[in-house]
Amino acid sequence: MQDLKNRIIAGERAAIAKAITIVESSREEDIALSHELISELIKSPGHAIRVGFSGPPGVGKSTFIEAFGSYIVNKDFKLGVLAIDPSSNFTGGSILGDKTRMSEISKNENTFIRSTPSRGSLGGIAVGTREAAIILDAAGYDYIFIETVGVGQSEITAANLVDIFTLIVGPGSGDELQGIKKGITEYADMFIVNKYDGDLATQASKTASDYKSALSFYSKNSDDIETQVVLVSSIENKGMDEVLDTFDKIVEFNKANNRFKARRESQLAYWLEEEVRNKILLRLSKEQGIPELIESEVQSIISGKTGFYSASKNIIDTFLGKK
Amino acid sequence: MTKDKSKRLSDWEKKFTKEVKIETSQEFFHETDEGININPLYTQEDLLDYTFNDINTLPGEWPYTRGPKASMYTNRPWTVRQYAGFSTAEESNKFYKKNLEAGQMGLSVAFDLPTHRGYDSDDELVMGDVGKAGVAIDSVEDMKILFDGIPLDKMSVSMTMNGAVLPVLAAFIVAGEEQGLDKKVLSGTIQNDILKEFMVRNTYIYPPEPSMRLVADIIEYTAREMPKFNSISISGYHMQEAGANNVQELAFTLADGMEYVRAALSKGLAVDDFAPRLSFFFAIGTDFFMEIAKLRAARTLWAKIMKDFGATNEKSLTLRTHCQTSGVSLTEKDPYNNIVRTSYEALSAVLGGTQSLHTNSFDEAIALPTEFSSRIARNTQLILQNETGVTNTVDPLAGSYFVEKLTEDMCSAAWKIIEEVEELGGMTKAVAAGMPKLSIEESATKKQAKIDSGKQVVVGVNKFKNPKEPKIDVLVIDNEKVREDQIIKITNLKKNRNPKDLEDCLSRITDMAKNNSGNLLALSIEAIRARATVGEVSKALEDAFGRHYATNVGVSGVYGKFFEKDAKFMDIQNKINNFEKENGRRPRVLIVKMGQDGHDRGAKIVATSFADLGFDIDMGPLFQSPKDVAKDAIENDVHAIGVSTLAAGHKTLVPELMKSLKEIDKNNKITVFVGGVIPEQDYQFLYDNNVSAIFGPGTSILDSAEEVIKLISKKD
Ligand code: B12
Ligand SMILES: Nc1nc2c(ncn2[C@@H]2O[C@H](COP(=O)(O)OP(=O)(O)O)[C@@H](O)[C@H]2O)c(=O)[nH]1
Ligand SMILES: [Mg+2]
Repeated sequence: MQDLKNRIIAGERAAIAKAITIVESSREEDIALSHELISELIKSPGHAIRVGFSGPPGVGKSTFIEAFGSYIVNKDFKLGVLAIDPSSNFTGGSILGDKTRMSEISKNENTFIRSTPSRGSLGGIAVGTREAAIILDAAGYDYIFIETVGVGQSEITAANLVDIFTLIVGPGSGDELQGIKKGITEYADMFIVNKYDGDLATQASKTASDYKSALSFYSKNSDDIETQVVLVSSIENKGMDEVLDTFDKIVEFNKANNRFKARRESQLAYWLEEEVRNKILLRLSKEQGIPELIESEVQSIISGKTGFYSASKNIIDTFLGKK
Repeated sequence: MTKDKSKRLSDWEKKFTKEVKIETSQEFFHETDEGININPLYTQEDLLDYTFNDINTLPGEWPYTRGPKASMYTNRPWTVRQYAGFSTAEESNKFYKKNLEAGQMGLSVAFDLPTHRGYDSDDELVMGDVGKAGVAIDSVEDMKILFDGIPLDKMSVSMTMNGAVLPVLAAFIVAGEEQGLDKKVLSGTIQNDILKEFMVRNTYIYPPEPSMRLVADIIEYTAREMPKFNSISISGYHMQEAGANNVQELAFTLADGMEYVRAALSKGLAVDDFAPRLSFFFAIGTDFFMEIAKLRAARTLWAKIMKDFGATNEKSLTLRTHCQTSGVSLTEKDPYNNIVRTSYEALSAVLGGTQSLHTNSFDEAIALPTEFSSRIARNTQLILQNETGVTNTVDPLAGSYFVEKLTEDMCSAAWKIIEEVEELGGMTKAVAAGMPKLSIEESATKKQAKIDSGKQVVVGVNKFKNPKEPKIDVLVIDNEKVREDQIIKITNLKKNRNPKDLEDCLSRITDMAKNNSGNLLALSIEAIRARATVGEVSKALEDAFGRHYATNVGVSGVYGKFFEKDAKFMDIQNKINNFEKENGRRPRVLIVKMGQDGHDRGAKIVATSFADLGFDIDMGPLFQSPKDVAKDAIENDVHAIGVSTLAAGHKTLVPELMKSLKEIDKNNKITVFVGGVIPEQDYQFLYDNNVSAIFGPGTSILDSAEEVIKLISKKD
């Protein structure tokens, strides 16, 4: 493990890749190893800025990452990409296609591009994404991009992984605008309106101004930075400088206001809670006698012997040893 | 129907159902890949008043169903035009001359993949591909050698070129010029059909929009300057080879044609100024009558389409076509069977009324043809022309109840798709939306499932196997040597030219390309005259247009659906689930195409089928270098890499890949296997380079999946 850690910190490609496999793995030994490794790596964090790109399938997230990634890499930054690919199919297998849109950055020595099938998990985040970001950070990457499929409310999970959370949208009919509820502005730092080119250019710029006005309507606290809207074309490489400027602006602002750190801390709290919740659920499902108890309580509810809520209370009490 | 007739029909049905032991003859429909129902019997009653096909018309008469000309082969048989090219211009020239002496009537040039994609032979990117799958042409000097001793005012020359179409056509024109010929007398065809490149053939260079402009520039230029030259060959051939069924092939090709007509009109040309020089190209597969009906339907629909565009010149209304027998119907196993398949396909093309024909060689699924195999392929046509009597009667199958009905069925099925495409805004838009490509891939995947499940018989592959496969000679091309020769020629060319003139031409090309005005072919001719290379002209255009990178979206679930509840399929799924339990993740395989090889049918089918079985598949983009593949494989920590290689680059590319993997991680345990067209002679070489398994043409995907699971389970 120590060896693996050192090789990761030295930036060794194969070691980073193996480590990500380990944190994604469902094998017992791997899970144990993963815990050990991540606990260690957290102690020697790098300096990476983690950026999330979310949005519905087909808006151009992968294409944008290819274009913007090239722009960043040309400025000598090291870039890690974690693409959570939505394309799992009915038998459980998948074709990971995101990368085919990232062929230029894939070739670059200063990138590390990893795809993971989402397997339909909640929040568009796969098992191990957060840990994979920790690994890339420790390995010295400057930016870590996380591509996730945004599906409504679940974006909050993705937002809790990153320092900058962006939503990519297309030149739309305005339907998406209904998605901008007050809530979303609280965790989206930025909207990127893609496909600002060709026939779609006019529509895109209209969409951008619609977003701007909708966002001004849901204004944030006066001391907060405004949610930014940037127009880009990923196929014509337009607007990339503006995106990077905006990132810098957000990071600068957040650092100056101590928000940057605070956000990471609250994310840690979120993940800890999440971890505890998951582990409790897991224990619950494995604890001696509990699955059987659940089964029999269900029968009791059906037959009218027990009420729903008292059944629930009974299970929890038994689990916690209060009974 | 008369009473008597109707009674006789019902008597027939009674006898029929008794013989085949079924309730009604309706149960005996055969459903084709196109979804067309084939009846066991057709009678006069099937000759209805059709919408498209008017059975009372004559050859050379609207709507030309029975042929573009009144006399057809009775006057002059179809042109025997064999597609060929390999190695250097010198070698191909020798081969052409021999073939012409032996009875071939027209030339058809196959360029190598670097030329197709606009790279000179000295480009690092194309190391493994030079001269391998066609002839390497870097400049007008090569073009002159290619046609040395072949008078271009007498010989019609067809050139399959689409991506690098400007410099290559320019080089042809300048080669003619330097033979002392005015371009007016040059006859032949340039393929110049870019839409199907984006769909299936994959030798595009620039994005769709500027590419369409090049097509239009060429149509414009040839309409003005080269009256005997076909400005385009609108090709369905490649679609069928990529997996399209006949209706898809027909519909998408005609829809492409409509798009090119519109492109030319947008240049301000009048329809009858260019339409007579639009030509077509179809594949002829093994479905005998369907193919005949397809050609008759194609002529019928095209006449209607052109009339709607306002054409009045008869030459604009008639569809003239080249045909090639299907390569994908030919097998690596028991290869002499291919001679028989090709003969039937050739007959089908001729009964359909093709204007020229290429017949494939029996070693099609093994390598480029040898002199021996090409002779048999050519003679297949010569025998048909000289011994069988098929040339004595025009459209001999007209009036066949079945063929007439099938012609109508093809027309109406294709027309439906054409209308769909038009609704999407025409073929350029449909292609951009990925519609035709996806539907072709779906057909291809279904086809594979039918063969793997034994529902479709392929003799010698999934039935009637030959226990003792014959050994056959294959054509070997030393690409290192070709590359060296080409580099010498490029160096000489560059020494003996005026760099200032050249720079001037090239920068004018870039400017004109940016400005979207003027004719780029005219300017390319100047550049080629100034001894620009094919690569340099392509680069000058790329500087303005950029390079196009396709993105892969494949079909999903099509293969799996075919095998619902199939024991073997489920067994492999179980093995994969067990693998996941033991290894903490699913087996992960990276499937790649390296070098300039654009044959992606196999790779895509394997990818989608493997995913259906439960693998996690990383799909690389086209044209990767071994180094890119290695990085991709290591970063994604895949268990295996499956290299799909069909254009003979494997002996260069696979060792490079192994080296690159070691460079990134000398202890890597990645299993590498290879699929595609690999002559048996090369197997040992690949094994010696640590390839774990080789899956050739005809492999059942289920078998290969089983083998892959076995191989990677051993290692982890
Ligand atoms: C179809 C075809 C085409 C289509 C390709 C469409 C497409 N999008 O793929 C079209 C018409 C466009 C085409 C064009 C050309 N072709 Co071509 N083509 C063929 C053909 C007839 C069949 C290939 C095929 O698709 N078979 C069906 C699929 C399903 O089979 P497969 O790919 O072999 O895959 C199976 C196995 O091999 C294996 N497998 C393959 N890959 C993998 C991967 C994994 C992971 C696994 C497990 C298994 C596996 O499993 C699959 C299922 O059984 C072959 C000859 C032949 N019969 O094989 C020539 C052939 C490959 N073509 C050839 C040539 C020369 C060309 C051109 C270069 C001609 C030219 N000069 O212009 C062009 C250029 C194309 C390009 N961009 O590269 C030559 C190559 C010569 C050589 N190797 O020495 C061949 C061998 C024909 C010949 N004998 O001359 N072609
Ligand atoms: N016109 C245009 N199309 C784009 C742009 N970005 C992406 N696309 C296209 O949108 C489709 C989906 O892109 P992809 O990156 O896969 O989207 P994702 O699912 O969000 O990752 C592809 O066909 C892209 O070519 C853009 O900036 N302009
Ligand atoms: Mg994507």
